[in-house]
Amino acid sequence: MDIAQLQAYGYFILTASLVIVLYGYIYHLYTKKRDADGVDYENYSNMALKDDIVDTPVSAKSDKEK
Amino acid sequence: MFHWLEKHPFFFAVGVFVVIAFAGLVEILPNFAQASRPVIGTAPYSTLELAGRHVYIKNSCNACHSQLVRPFKSETDRYGHYSLSGEYAYDRPFLWGSKRTGPDLWRVGNYRTTDWHENHMKNPASVVPGSVMPAYKWMFSNKADINTAFAEQLTVAQYFSVPYNQSVPMKDGTTKVVKMGGSVAEANAIALEEAKIIAADMKDQDVKDTVARGEIPEIVALIAYLNSLK
Amino acid sequence: MVNRPLEYDYTIAKMFMLTTIVLGIVGMLIGVILAFQLAFPGVNTILGEGLAEYTNFSRLRPLHTDAVIFGFTLSGVFATWYYVGQRVLKVSMAESALLMFLGKLHFWLYLVVVVAVVVSLFAGVTTSKEYAEFEWPIDIGVVVVWVLFGMSIFGLIGIRREKSLYISVWYYIATFLGIAMLYLFNNMEIPTMLGTSAAGESGIGAWYHSVSMYSGTNDALVQWWYGHNAVAFGFTVPIVAMIYYFLPKESGQAIYSYKLSLLSFWGLMFVYLWAGGHHLLYSTVPDWMQTMGSIFSVILILPSWGSAINMLLTMKGEWQQVAASPLIKFMILASTFYMFSTLEGPIQAIKSVNAIAHFTDWIVGHVHDGVLGWVGFMIMAALFHMAPRVFKREIYSKSLMVAQFWIQTLGVVLYFTSMWIAGITQGMMWRAHDEFGNLAYSFIDTVTVLHPYYVIRGVGGLLYLVGFLMFAYNIYKTMSARPVEDHELQNASPMGA
Repeated sequence: MDIAQLQAYGYFILTASLVIVLYGYIYHLYTKKRDADGVDYENYSNMALKDDIVDTPVSAKSDKEK
Repeated sequence: MFHWLEKHPFFFAVGVFVVIAFAGLVEILPNFAQASRPVIGTAPYSTLELAGRHVYIKNSCNACHSQLVRPFKSETDRYGHYSLSGEYAYDRPFLWGSKRTGPDLWRVGNYRTTDWHENHMKNPASVVPGSVMPAYKWMFSNKADINTAFAEQLTVAQYFSVPYNQSVPMKDGTTKVVKMGGSVAEANAIALEEAKIIAADMKDQDVKDTVARGEIPEIVALIAYLNSLK
Repeated sequence: MVNRPLEYDYTIAKMFMLTTIVLGIVGMLIGVILAFQLAFPGVNTILGEGLAEYTNFSRLRPLHTDAVIFGFTLSGVFATWYYVGQRVLKVSMAESALLMFLGKLHFWLYLVVVVAVVVSLFAGVTTSKEYAEFEWPIDIGVVVVWVLFGMSIFGLIGIRREKSLYISVWYYIATFLGIAMLYLFNNMEIPTMLGTSAAGESGIGAWYHSVSMYSGTNDALVQWWYGHNAVAFGFTVPIVAMIYYFLPKESGQAIYSYKLSLLSFWGLMFVYLWAGGHHLLYSTVPDWMQTMGSIFSVILILPSWGSAINMLLTMKGEWQQVAASPLIKFMILASTFYMFSTLEGPIQAIKSVNAIAHFTDWIVGHVHDGVLGWVGFMIMAALFHMAPRVFKREIYSKSLMVAQFWIQTLGVVLYFTSMWIAGITQGMMWRAHDEFGNLAYSFIDTVTVLHPYYVIRGVGGLLYLVGFLMFAYNIYKTMSARPVEDHELQNASPMGA
């Protein structure tokens, strides 16, 4: 196989997989609606709306995580 | 997987990078070797021409003039044969431009003369009534930087194997050798020889005197470059 | 230490607000001069024949583009990052002496690079590559500044209280990565002082001069992969970051669909980079790349409109705010112009349209409806929103804002309509043949016909500049306006009469 052919295959596979991942993500977002911490994605809008330093974080980073 | 990425900024950044770098890897890298092979008739720039190219770049001529003839009848009628990839093999950087406020210059050497350029650069409206191009009078007094042009020749010969002092095939079956000096002094002497030919066709007495003194005004280098575009 | 409650620290945001305004004025002023030079060539020698070398069109043109892109826009991006970043991550710059130091270093080095760029471009020291004109010593400075920006982003993220990253932060990260990659690859060059002659001399000629590592067609390909995506990661991605924060915050409305914002992010990242080929249609780059550039440019409408529509729908049920608040007006118009230029761009990228549009003023018009309408309006809106919060004072004058809005909107409309007509007229005249198959017009015919449009464009640009000066004045006066209480700063920004 010459370089152009390799390129063509690599290319196709990568594009196809990225497309699948993107659609997988869309499917995931709209079926699950919540992320791993059980927070509804739409609640994340509050990160902008309630952004004073004294406001409670939408999902706080606990001390034990890194 | 998705949850995880959203909360791990480092891996998130890696993910973003993969997605954006991907197009560049596939689109740009693979054709590099092919596109830089010169076609027959393409020779490297001489020292004076290269100095003229630097004058062209210094004054951003490429902001208003393209150097790319597209394959349309209207363009080949106006400017000559459409551009071929290999013709640009020695163009570092490329000067295709993105805007034609003025006409294309890729083959300007075929239909304009030293005399025409001299008048035009001094006062564009004198040869092209209605022109919006500014005059470039300072090019008649500023000196061309031959040393930098020579340094560039050395660099491209050393790093990119540009064939200076070697014979390159021409369209009519002959060959041509573009000379590059062995030292700074020799490079300047070669450039001056070329400059004398240009200056002989010019009217401006100051320019002629300057060249006779052994110095090269920017305008002479620029005209040498423009004449080389064919 | 005094036991004071923790507050966000806007020191660095303020510094970059200043450069946003100053460099905005410089860039736009040069732009107006350029516009009038094309309409009236006498303006080229406006400061006399002696200085003509430094005031003529060709010397000023790269200064205009670079002042607006790397001066005005980047300053705006930095200013908003140092504001938004803290707030959505719920962490103050004051909590980390290191980040504070890096931020200040970032600002001062940025300023040094700006000065170096101005000096070198006036002197005609340029590599000629559009938006990458800087020679290698300045490139190194740019890289250092950029690394500091990256350290600030990831540093702040490292000490955050909010576990998830808000969508704006995603976009800032993408800006950082995208520009870093593009800039590095496009500026690969070899300093010519490395060349050694047969006689053994080296270090010949100008020390700052360099030669591109790519030649001809390859160089063009890399340059427009960069050029197009510098627009993507300078004029689109960070500005989307801004609107995703400032519009919801100012209006008090949650983003219409946060999920849509996430997926249009990935869509944009994936598609944008491919579209660079549309700058090289009908050139000597391989055909499949040109086609790819065309196709992806059209697909690009989807993720772009995903964000834009998301913004417009955020105002659902609250449209009276657009009438009431000039600040919301700026953002809604910005988002409308975003939709408009992301539709116009793909149209121009269609091969048969590009055959007419390429090399003409239509392209210039397209860039400007994007930059004046979208980037400019959004950055000004962001600064208007930030001003009361960083200075703790109300915006000096609401009526001045309203006047500015209408003056600038008129300016943008005059600008792009005149450039559309100019571009299409010229494109059609270039290709016109008479009945014998000869060219119908000489080149100069296609230039002189543009005179009225160049005048209109100049006026449009001037109006925009006037509006920008009003903006600068308004922000300046805000620093000494009526002080406000914290509760007034919840959503809608307080404004004086």
